[in-house]
Amino acid sequence: MKTAGRPKQTAFEQQAHVLATGAYVTAAAAIGDTIVVAHGDGCLRLLHGDGEVVVADAHRGAILSLAVDASSATLISGADDGRVVETDLKGTSREWAAFGSRWVDHVAVNGSGVRACASGREVHVWRPGAPRPDVLEHPSSVGGLAFSPSGNRLAVAHYGGVSIWQRRAKRGWQRSQLSWAGSHIGVTWSPNGQYLISSMQECALHGWRMRDQTDMAMSGYFTKVRSWDWCGDEPYLLTSGSALPVCWPFDGARGPMGRKPLTQGNLTDGAVTQVCGLPGTRAFLAGYQDGSVALLDLDGAEPVHVLRYATGVEVTALKTTSGLELLAVGDADGHLLWSQLSRAG
Amino acid sequence: MRPNIPVTLLTGFLGAGKTTLLNRILTEQHGRKYAVIVNEFGETGIDNDLVVDADEEVFEMNNGCICCTVRGDLIRIFSGLMKRADSFDAIVVETTGLADPAPVVQTFFVDPEVAEKTALDAVITVVDAVHLEAQLDAHHEVEEQIAFADIVLLNKVDLVDSQSLPGLERRIRAMNPYARILQTSRCDAPLEALLEQHAFKLERVLEVEPTFLEDDHAHEHDDEISSVSLSADRPLDPDRFQDWFGTLLMRHGPDILRAKGILELAGEERRYVIQGVHMLMHSDHLGPWPDGSPRLSRLVFIGRGLQSLGLEAGFADCVAT
Repeated sequence: MKTAGRPKQTAFEQQAHVLATGAYVTAAAAIGDTIVVAHGDGCLRLLHGDGEVVVADAHRGAILSLAVDASSATLISGADDGRVVETDLKGTSREWAAFGSRWVDHVAVNGSGVRACASGREVHVWRPGAPRPDVLEHPSSVGGLAFSPSGNRLAVAHYGGVSIWQRRAKRGWQRSQLSWAGSHIGVTWSPNGQYLISSMQECALHGWRMRDQTDMAMSGYFTKVRSWDWCGDEPYLLTSGSALPVCWPFDGARGPMGRKPLTQGNLTDGAVTQVCGLPGTRAFLAGYQDGSVALLDLDGAEPVHVLRYATGVEVTALKTTSGLELLAVGDADGHLLWSQLSRAG
Repeated sequence: MRPNIPVTLLTGFLGAGKTTLLNRILTEQHGRKYAVIVNEFGETGIDNDLVVDADEEVFEMNNGCICCTVRGDLIRIFSGLMKRADSFDAIVVETTGLADPAPVVQTFFVDPEVAEKTALDAVITVVDAVHLEAQLDAHHEVEEQIAFADIVLLNKVDLVDSQSLPGLERRIRAMNPYARILQTSRCDAPLEALLEQHAFKLERVLEVEPTFLEDDHAHEHDDEISSVSLSADRPLDPDRFQDWFGTLLMRHGPDILRAKGILELAGEERRYVIQGVHMLMHSDHLGPWPDGSPRLSRLVFIGRGLQSLGLEAGFADCVAT
């Protein structure tokens, strides 16, 4: 490691709020000026800029997925206790759905409050006002869920490709499939809805241009891409899974096809485990396997700013609020570090 | 860094006694807490708060390797379990009676996250002494489960004539000279002989001596799966060996279930140790040859139709000249 031992605390660390929870941080989401982190022991923690922490005992097992329902200002979580739970900003949780011994691996919510969760091969979709959920079946276990930016399509990753579901008033849910051999373990839409990207078991990304379903392959990772985010106006897709954050350009008619990604932020010898764009800017955060966290810029004009040096414990969650009020870091040992972003230096 | 969490794979045909063994592992006082991954068609209920239901989802890897399959459900479940890894010490995976163990074993070779956080400890195969002969003749899955085993529990021996046991052992031995065979009545082998065996560590290849049959009784049954042992008392040419071995795995990987070897390569003082499953291999140079003992290269294959692959001649051609 280039940062052997712990040379010093950064200015960010010195003024940030810290908490050792002892429970693996599995996910993070931002709602208003609050960041919510999910834990391996079933708790949600709502982190506030003044240091206040509200704890919600949402689940009896590891929380595997977390999404924000902006329409009702609530959080939706899925866990290995087989339950989907809704939690409000006061930290009050209530069970939304239960699947018995089956894990709830993924949850997603669109802008109008349509909620989806995946358990095994099934995706259950709750439309506001509908008496019961719609059940969408897939040929294999679901690897990832994502509503399109407009909210009217739902992409479901699985073995052999991605299913695109769209609900028509008279015909109900219609499925079309984007096929590509291999197991797809995550899916994301570009912010303009023109591209769909999946993460693959083979440590690569696969992409489709939705207009004509042109395939694109993005490879070169040494582990699976488990974290990604969109950043900048082009935009770029920031990805984990390599020694550096790998940022693929999605501007122009051909996106990343035939182009090289941006790579920067050579901080440690370990892999990037988390990435997070700063909304409305060209800056982004990268968290590493050794616990380091850096603030980077797509244009590379700014030097790498280290927010935290290596701790030896993998960064497992990174999040900022959309108004950039707050930034939070979580790791595999349950350490939390959060602060107002303006103080990040 | 946390130590890798050991994973024991428990296989065996329907009714052989897997669930009996699983319940022993979960209820006996050994100071260890196990997470258990069972398939939903399991034989009887198991009472434990860390039991995970799995669908056996076998995925082909899209990497040009035709026999490279993994268990997608296990990759997903291991990833989830790591988020509460402080609540258990080890994992047991039970397969269905008809499952091929290869995709489970290959998952540990192929998936970088699984390899980083867990370690395959051993494959335990439970076989029913009463029905083994008939099952071997009728179901190729039973042969595969024996071929992959590090430990075979020859179970229900109290229900058969004790004179038939040597024959059963011989038949198992002919398929898998590396497996330790334990005769049990109700899977009543000591758990310390079954758990935390580190059977897939390369160092263990050095420790476990294969048991080959001295007579030819093994061939009284025409089992599809058999083993072949090759040896050489002169060093091998490293390039020729890698060429031959690589081509062999590429062409015949689907038929080669397991391979283990300790080799002397010309110009290298340390022993070259290999072990693998189908086309996937781990290898390393591990320590010098012990003083005073002969430097004998030995390579053992367990697989289907090995007699037709020309293994003896191919290996002999690798000897350095």
